[in-house]
Amino acid sequence: MTGTPFIGLYPFQWIALLVAAITLLLLADALAGHYRSGFAFRSQYTPFMSGGLLIVSAVAAGVAPSAWWTKGALRAAGWLALASGVIGFGFHHYYGIVKKPGGYKWLLHYLMYGAPQLAPLALAATGALALITAQGLAGELSFVGVNMSAALLIFVAIALVGAILQSGILHYRGAFNNPAMYAPFFTPLLAIVACLWMAFAPSRAASLALSTLLWLTFLTGFVGLGMHLRGFGRQMGGLYVAVFNWLEGPPAFAPALFAGFSAVGLVAIYLL
Amino acid sequence: MKRPIEKGGTVRSAKEASSLFKMGAPMHPIFVHFTIALTASSLVFDALGFFTGRASLTAAGGWTLVGSALMTLVTISTGLTSSTRAPVEEGEARSFLRAHMALGLIFYGLLVAMALWRLSLWQAGTGVSWLYLGALGIVSLVMTVQGYLGGELVYRYGVEVEQAYRELPEREAKSVPPASSSRRAASATVVGKDGGTT
Repeated sequence: MTGTPFIGLYPFQWIALLVAAITLLLLADALAGHYRSGFAFRSQYTPFMSGGLLIVSAVAAGVAPSAWWTKGALRAAGWLALASGVIGFGFHHYYGIVKKPGGYKWLLHYLMYGAPQLAPLALAATGALALITAQGLAGELSFVGVNMSAALLIFVAIALVGAILQSGILHYRGAFNNPAMYAPFFTPLLAIVACLWMAFAPSRAASLALSTLLWLTFLTGFVGLGMHLRGFGRQMGGLYVAVFNWLEGPPAFAPALFAGFSAVGLVAIYLL
Repeated sequence: MKRPIEKGGTVRSAKEASSLFKMGAPMHPIFVHFTIALTASSLVFDALGFFTGRASLTAAGGWTLVGSALMTLVTISTGLTSSTRAPVEEGEARSFLRAHMALGLIFYGLLVAMALWRLSLWQAGTGVSWLYLGALGIVSLVMTVQGYLGGELVYRYGVEVEQAYRELPEREAKSVPPASSSRRAASATVVGKDGGTT
């Protein structure tokens, strides 16, 4: 297996476990959103099936990478998650904007209050990460012609762009009522630049800048988790009416995606 | 919330005792002590190991920090359970609770980062540095502020304590039923302690 092991696990085993953790967080937020809308369509169960399979296969690949079936299962689950994420994006777009009264004329309104447009693409992104991971666990040194470390950093940059755009529109909806709501536009944005710098022109300076920014982005994720939890507390009744405010308050686990994606980047720079 | 009323007399058998066992005590105040003790011990062990050069102390510093990172997961989950039982009305207690909740997860992020740093030092076979000790000192400071906020919630506002549990017998004997206490308050407005009217 490629890379340097860290407390007994090789880099792609760590990334497989990160795929499972990120998917679990995504599904928790998807459950809140789809439950809130009452599971009006049967297709709203799809992410839980494809995501569930992805979690199981990613944990299996992380724990037993040498088993004959785990890499194939991770690859299959990755493709399934990728496909369901892209189809979900189409559904969110069609039922969340196009089919709504006013359609594109009310674009900003539906971007803010309709189904989160980029959320399904996060599942697609974890599917893509699973595909890279399966390739890495198989001992391949490149992914679609790009070396593994660069491929992972490009992935992290793209994933962070999506996370920043989605948090941008939702924090705009929240009128940036707290200065901490600007946090996703500071270190994560700089981390994207540093990821691309390191991927295309690796150097010692780029590595130092990237590791610093990824650690700060990792912490930004936890700051976001804490502040979103505080956001529940600010809703009427706070956590005393926990389920209601979990559904109506800020997405509980969304900030953790920043921590999860930056952790993937940290594995790429320290262990690969 | 009403205080539970005592039913029956002295507990005479194991069966009676087991029927009183409700597992209703708040778990969060129990687990916070593991987080506080393990993190603080880690800082002390690491500092002693750094200054005395004893490997066993440095190893103890590493294990206690990893233990803290694991135990704090339980601390956070029990804290979330406790926060659902906090008073529903808006006020100072809720403000303290919100700050405590936000800082709790920020502290956990710092703790995880420190544990990963510590594990990488262990793997590289190197000891701790001034930078590491300074960073762990800052994390311990954040933990102190977090603990202070939690202490305020319990000892000033009585979250999960006040009115939720039966009073001790000697306090119960002195306590006055709400109806008579309001009557006494009303009479106190007429006749003061020194006998003069107010």
